[in-house]
Amino acid sequence: MNTWKEQLKQRIPADAAHLIDTFEAQIELRRQGKLDEKVFAESRLRKGIYGQRYDNGQRHDGICTRELAYPSGDLVKGPDTLWDAPGMQRIKIPYGGLTAEQLETLSELADEYADGILHITTRQDIQLHYVHIDDTPDLMRRLAAVGITTQEACGNSVRNITACPLAGVCHDETFDVSPYADALTQFLLGHDDVQDFGRKFKIAFSGCEGHACGLVKMHDLGLLARTREVGGELKRGFTVFVGGGLGTVPHQAKVLTDFVSEEKLLPLAQAVARVFARLGEKKNRNRARLKFLVAKLGIEEFRRLAQEELEILPHDERHTAYLDGLQDFTYEPAKAGMALNGTPLPAGFEDWYRSNHYRQVQAGYSTITLHVPLGDFTARQGFQLADIARRYVGDHIRLSVEQNIILRWVADADLPAIYRELLDIGLADSGAGTILDITSCPGTDTCKLGIASSRGLTGELRMRLIERIHRLPDAVRELKIKVSGCFNSCGQHHVADIGFFGNSRRAGNHKMPHFQVVLGGQWHENAGSYGLAVGAVPAKSVPDVLEALTRRYVAERGEDENFQAWVKNLGRKAIKAMLQPYMKRPSFEAKPAYFSDWGDSRVYTIDDIGVGECAGEVVSLFSMEIAKAESSHFEALVALDEGNYAQADQQAYKAMILAARALVRTQYLDVGDDYNSIVSEFRRRFYDTELVYDRFAKGKFARYLFKRHSQAPAAVSEDYAHQMIDETQLFIENIHSAEQRINGVIVS
Amino acid sequence: MAAAPKRLGVKFSLKQSPSLQPKDIMPIFQRWIQGHTVEGMLIDVIDYKHVHQGPSLILIADEGDYAYDLGDGQAGLQYIRKRAMPACLSDALRLVFRLAFIAARRLEADTKRQLQFDYAAAKISFLDRQRYRNQPGVFDGVRAELTACLAQLYDDEIELTRVYDDPRQIFALRCSTQNPDVAMAGIISRLEGNGPPHHRPQP
Repeated sequence: MNTWKEQLKQRIPADAAHLIDTFEAQIELRRQGKLDEKVFAESRLRKGIYGQRYDNGQRHDGICTRELAYPSGDLVKGPDTLWDAPGMQRIKIPYGGLTAEQLETLSELADEYADGILHITTRQDIQLHYVHIDDTPDLMRRLAAVGITTQEACGNSVRNITACPLAGVCHDETFDVSPYADALTQFLLGHDDVQDFGRKFKIAFSGCEGHACGLVKMHDLGLLARTREVGGELKRGFTVFVGGGLGTVPHQAKVLTDFVSEEKLLPLAQAVARVFARLGEKKNRNRARLKFLVAKLGIEEFRRLAQEELEILPHDERHTAYLDGLQDFTYEPAKAGMALNGTPLPAGFEDWYRSNHYRQVQAGYSTITLHVPLGDFTARQGFQLADIARRYVGDHIRLSVEQNIILRWVADADLPAIYRELLDIGLADSGAGTILDITSCPGTDTCKLGIASSRGLTGELRMRLIERIHRLPDAVRELKIKVSGCFNSCGQHHVADIGFFGNSRRAGNHKMPHFQVVLGGQWHENAGSYGLAVGAVPAKSVPDVLEALTRRYVAERGEDENFQAWVKNLGRKAIKAMLQPYMKRPSFEAKPAYFSDWGDSRVYTIDDIGVGECAGEVVSLFSMEIAKAESSHFEALVALDEGNYAQADQQAYKAMILAARALVRTQYLDVGDDYNSIVSEFRRRFYDTELVYDRFAKGKFARYLFKRHSQAPAAVSEDYAHQMIDETQLFIENIHSAEQRINGVIVS
Repeated sequence: MAAAPKRLGVKFSLKQSPSLQPKDIMPIFQRWIQGHTVEGMLIDVIDYKHVHQGPSLILIADEGDYAYDLGDGQAGLQYIRKRAMPACLSDALRLVFRLAFIAARRLEADTKRQLQFDYAAAKISFLDRQRYRNQPGVFDGVRAELTACLAQLYDDEIELTRVYDDPRQIFALRCSTQNPDVAMAGIISRLEGNGPPHHRPQP
């Protein structure tokens, strides 16, 4: 029987295949204890493979904490992360754009490797939960075969690049940012300059300033479409924001430049990445995001440094090559645009149309939002939706940061028909973008850091709101609610009208789940301002708090006064007084239900909280690079065992080159991939200076590299391959020792 | 003998519309973890009640998952084996049937028979598109072995039909017997001895 690797060989790009093969080799090395657990953890995180709650082998079952005795025993896939513990696979979907075929593949994977559910994240990714580490190489291969990567979906890297899901069809955009998001994604993916960050790096694109769009002001790097007249010609470019972010300490981004032309977009992003890699905090992960560096340096100094980097960037044809393809980035609708006229409308259509429909700038076409509660849908729905997409819109599917699915280019005349079909598959809920459409992070369901059940609360609020949505005034219908399970803001509670984040409080001898109430954040104007925390209430009181807040807002708001203004005018003191009655904590004996979280019958505990992997351990660039050399060496061993001696020689040679490159890059980041340059720099910097010399063997191991580099064997015998692999092993050990001597650490 | 798929599931649907809501079943699954009531290293209960015809509630375990499943619009108890799978299909099927039977019976008892399952029919899911693509030829290749295995289990003639025509969907079969009053005790006794020695429920 063919393996997926063999079956898909022709469909996977060579570099993606190599990356996955290398990771598969690292899995084997880690199993054998030959790869450091922290290095492996960072490597898997950079493939989007993330830990989940209870992966430390402990779980509180409501009575006591019990051991989860996984079959693999003490084998770990990272610090305190057991091998067999199910994990999460994050899958990057750049700017949320999906084809029908990709949706089908994602659905297959949810069936076969996860729990049958696809989850849309608040950054336009797809996540699969309860995935075993051993399944990840095949999972990645199947994705790669349809043009999807998980590379750098987690870890200290450039995460999924997001963009407004209306890009290209919006009335108010300056221009379509989709091809730029695509170009920057391709350019930065695996780029040498984004491999040495102390923390993750998030990028977003917006087409306009006024709407929420890509939320550029809460990103490390935000790019807002602009045009400017230069020499009588209208030039495309971007206002560039840096240093925004939510998290525990939210920062509004600062303007790096009012306008960067499209020709300079990629170089500027690269320059910012270089400044972050060079000067960003590496040891204290709590201060390692770009926002802290911008705050520390000040925007003027940061601007100067970025400009300095920009001026010394090595020439790269890719900086502008993408511009030639811009005109090819067009949309082919599946059907001709036709007005909706006279077709009998199914029951519920008008309500759905009101909240879930957007009239495109292109006449005769609409964009519709599929309201996906909690961002979850089944594999079966995925297949059915792919069929619907093919019938009505082709490959114009997007995911939104509000955890919904967007179908663009629906001919207006098809709206009733597509609504009926969506009803059949359970994806025609109305209320998209309204108070019903609550965003939530995974919280205690699967996240190691979750303190309270954000999804449980969201589910409860949603059920209660559904019952009375038709009675709610428009001012309340339009409010945004966002929920995070802890202070880390994955649910984006800072930019909601009404936000909640989980915490806990003591009540007698027990702990009680609570949510901090955050009011008055601004979703529009690209997350224009952040809300204020006004007090923590028991989780079970949150529905009453919502009721009280919205009632008073409706009763007291001035004409055209929005929620932000109302909160500001009312003042923190008055709001606190309003919440005071709900902050009371009953005793366990009086109200035991208050001591269980939403959607969980267990008595509440925070004993299950683990160490988050959001940023990963900060592993040095050298450790990551040398791990690649070790993987290549391992592949050489496999080839030798299989009797493929020429391949064994090639892999061993490559391992030596990669090891030399790892050391060179500790001094010279821009060495590139050319073998001659790597060997030349290695010789000049480490051999001629004797830095790589072993105490007893002197330069002997380095000469193994020089020998093989200068002369490839005419034929490779088994003995030759064997010797080559042994020499490679010695060379890699030599590089490890040299790096320790030079830099004084193995893993920083 | 055919090889077992990577994942294999068996689902028993309810005899009639449920009188209980999924939220009522959540505490039962939580208690199963506390009491180690069903086989497997039980990890957590996941709530997917909000998903249309989804798995609703899943009791996640290391070896396999138990779900109060609403897939295909039919409420039922489904067990999907994920790991530690016997090599041959018949052995795997017997193991998965046994665990699904036991869990379904236990759920009937713990709901004071407000939920009752139809054991005369089952959905068998092959979650492995590499070995078991949803194609007629694949069905032909395993039909005889499965029929023999299931007839032995039920001690009756059984009928097998494909559940989905769509080749993208998983390969799934509906197995049914003409006898509506399946003798459970006989089935359980014929299935005994197929489970792994560890993670057996506590008495």
